[in-house]
Amino acid sequence: MSDTPISQSPNLEPADGVTPEPELTQQETPAKKRRWRPSRRGFLIGLGVVGGGLALGYVYGVPWVRLRLAGVFEGAEGPPGNFPEDPAAWFEVLPDSRVRLYLMKVEMGQGIHTSLAQVAAEELGVAWEDLDVAQASTGREMGDSLMTSGSSSVTGVFEPLLTAAATFRAMLAGEAAAILGIPPEEVVVIERAFAAKDNPAQQVDFYTVATSKSEWEVPKEAVPVKNWQEYKVIGQPLKRVDIPAKVTGRAVYGMDARLEGMKYGAIVRPPTISATVKSLGPGSAEGMSGVVKVVVEDDFAGVVADSRPEAYAAVAQMSSEWDEGRLWQQAELEAIVTVGNGNGITIQDVGNAARLLQEETSVTTEYRTPFAIHTPLEAQAALADVQPDRVRVWCSTQGQGFVRSEVAKAIGVDEKIVEIIPTYLGGGYGRKAGWEVAIEAARLAKAAGAPVHVGWSRTDDMRHGYFRPMTHHKLYGRVDGEGNLLAIEHRQASGDVAFDFLPPFMSAVMGADFGAYRGATIRYDVPNKRTVAWRCELPLRTGWWRGLGLLPNTFAVESFMDELAVAAGVDPLAFRLRNLSDDGDSGRLKKVLQAAADLGGWGTPAPEGRARGIAGTIDVGTAVAMVAEVSIDQTTGKIRVHKVSAAMDCGLTVNPDGATAQVEGNVMWGVGSALLEEMTVQDGQVVPANFDKYPLLTMKEAPAVEVVLLEAGDGRPRGVGEPPIGPVAPAIANAVYALTGRRLYQLPMNEARVKAAIG
Amino acid sequence: MNLRINGTEKEIDGGPGALLVYVLRDELGMTGTKIGCAAGICGSCTVLVDGVATRSCITPLTLVEGKEITTIEGLATENADGTLTLHPVQQAFIDAQVPQCGWCMSGQIMTAAAFLQQNPAPSEDDVIEAMGENYCRCGCYHRIKQAVVAAAGTMNGVATMQEVSA
Repeated sequence: MSDTPISQSPNLEPADGVTPEPELTQQETPAKKRRWRPSRRGFLIGLGVVGGGLALGYVYGVPWVRLRLAGVFEGAEGPPGNFPEDPAAWFEVLPDSRVRLYLMKVEMGQGIHTSLAQVAAEELGVAWEDLDVAQASTGREMGDSLMTSGSSSVTGVFEPLLTAAATFRAMLAGEAAAILGIPPEEVVVIERAFAAKDNPAQQVDFYTVATSKSEWEVPKEAVPVKNWQEYKVIGQPLKRVDIPAKVTGRAVYGMDARLEGMKYGAIVRPPTISATVKSLGPGSAEGMSGVVKVVVEDDFAGVVADSRPEAYAAVAQMSSEWDEGRLWQQAELEAIVTVGNGNGITIQDVGNAARLLQEETSVTTEYRTPFAIHTPLEAQAALADVQPDRVRVWCSTQGQGFVRSEVAKAIGVDEKIVEIIPTYLGGGYGRKAGWEVAIEAARLAKAAGAPVHVGWSRTDDMRHGYFRPMTHHKLYGRVDGEGNLLAIEHRQASGDVAFDFLPPFMSAVMGADFGAYRGATIRYDVPNKRTVAWRCELPLRTGWWRGLGLLPNTFAVESFMDELAVAAGVDPLAFRLRNLSDDGDSGRLKKVLQAAADLGGWGTPAPEGRARGIAGTIDVGTAVAMVAEVSIDQTTGKIRVHKVSAAMDCGLTVNPDGATAQVEGNVMWGVGSALLEEMTVQDGQVVPANFDKYPLLTMKEAPAVEVVLLEAGDGRPRGVGEPPIGPVAPAIANAVYALTGRRLYQLPMNEARVKAAIG
Repeated sequence: MNLRINGTEKEIDGGPGALLVYVLRDELGMTGTKIGCAAGICGSCTVLVDGVATRSCITPLTLVEGKEITTIEGLATENADGTLTLHPVQQAFIDAQVPQCGWCMSGQIMTAAAFLQQNPAPSEDDVIEAMGENYCRCGCYHRIKQAVVAAAGTMNGVATMQEVSA
């Protein structure tokens, strides 16, 4: 992984960036001689022998996963998955004595392959250039119960990966000492070899050590890891390993997967969101140009053709009859997502908010946020090759383990013969946590007897996936004349976020969807606070979205905090600081609020015609706050966000440039959701079919972003992929209030709503 | 039909109405050119046709026959020893660590390369105008702008461009 590649081999394969997974034969998995030993912290560490060398990995043990699940139910952490049996990361020594790190975490632009390589390199002690990262396929018998989601990749992997790397190095160093005939403490790493500290010429390379014996034991005693203050690789703004391939067109994504002799597939889609199929038939598709196979099975129909345009053209000529079901209208769906519709579940109850608010309420307001569509620019895509004894699927996915079992089920084969090879993802954002496209490709490939690629069209992707749910919020608050928050209550209603992906018993047991209420609880130090969540069942699929409920909930809560500040007659920053203690997470939130304010010029006059707003949040243990500086075109009502100044404390930062990039990206997502993005339903169908009806933010509307990173000072990293999405919309809404004296209660804050508000 | 792509003549099966993006990606296996909306809106599929940034998803072959097509695979210069020297825009995108998921980046880079050819000394507003029709869903706009300005400086041989403000 060279730092600044100026020229590159045209045969790029492993030269730079992530090494593609070498083709596996079925006998060749590193797991054959696996033995596991529990670590101090509840995960297991184990080894195997592969290709004549030593490999070592770790798996999350049950105690570790229990801790993680406890976090999930508190709404503090990402989503759970299956209990693990297979390693989530794996080291191997290559014949040229470089070390390869296989990862189950997928790269979707968050820089995770680089961050995790930094974590591993820290304890391996090898040079950055001598460590190579490979995306693992499921064929390596690796697993990851936690998917690549919920900003959990670094936090979940950090400790086990450090320990595994330290253990791997200690095992190799111990053997090298024996070979060199010196005590283990006198062994140092020089380039790709172990050498005697006092006589560097006396050395033995990594591969020789790794292949020197075929029976290894994991050390009985835990191998010590560095104190975080001694880190040299973690904390550096190292360049991303995947970027050279991404600027030369060589990075391979799911939509790009190609095999010799492959065909292209397209699927018949329902005409409305509540449609059920009455009959499906080939229509006039058979015999059309390029058509290889027309597939009709129960509730599934599609075409396999020589080219993608031919598949799209032919599938449009298949016959289908539908019961369109209820033709839902937008207002009907909004009525469903309403506080009080059904049973509310109390998810936070401190003191006696109900009594205080019954006596007196300073402010009561309602907020709404709309449906939104993820629209990764790479639509859903998978290539499937279905053989009698082996099934392979190349797929853009955030959850390859789920894809594997769902594909096996769908085509009726043993999961053991199914291998999922994750590619780079052309955007994920929660939308690539499903498996529909992989199943479609596998079913068509099985029927056609040839490898089939299914790449959804933009229209498929906009209308037939799952959406960010609508939300509705009612807030009640009471403040005293000095700006002390006495009581606050947040009642929140949302469509499902996590429940669509979990076994049905979970929704029955939990009542409210932890994904939907992420970010809903009151984090300020108020003696009386209460949060109640209503689960509203919608007739269309809603699900994972970057930050889950964080964006809508933070919009509501942090807008409301501004309203309370106004009611108390206190500056919005001072009001927030006053109602946070100096301890723990409260203290961290306080610091980022102050840092964002300092960066954004809070308290100094804004440029002519502009005003500033502030908002902050704590999410997955990360504290983040932002100041937005906005103006409004009085004629059109268009809000212009000129600048967002952000401060984030994500604990220990593994890669500061990567963390900064995540803040920048989240700001753009936040501005898009705040000002533009809204999916509506009309006559039973999703209205937008392409970007003409669902425009994204462009560089023309993009604000300048400045970021300052704070450290918690405890050596523990927290998530960065999602938390910064929270404060953007409320910071903008609060700035609009500061500018106009009018508040916008509904997203998106588009021209029509602004004009209606400012008159 | 024959097309001239990255300096090489290629024989194409697709008829005159076939869209360039599918010919590149599926028939020729040149998947560096991406596809995002198939409607000419997002810009992921941008290639150069006689040096002009062109959306290959709405471009039939009849419009490009006899013209020089350049894709992301042909933007860098191949050296005698087989290595590549990156185009200044590609290098600037690495230096500024621009891409996140990377799907839109071929289109961003091709758009920027064509733009800087025509306007070697752009203002920041010129850059925004030129790049303002290319979507980046990950929201790398801040860095794209920085990188295009930096690439202009490199191509002029001197860093005459004023720094893009934060």
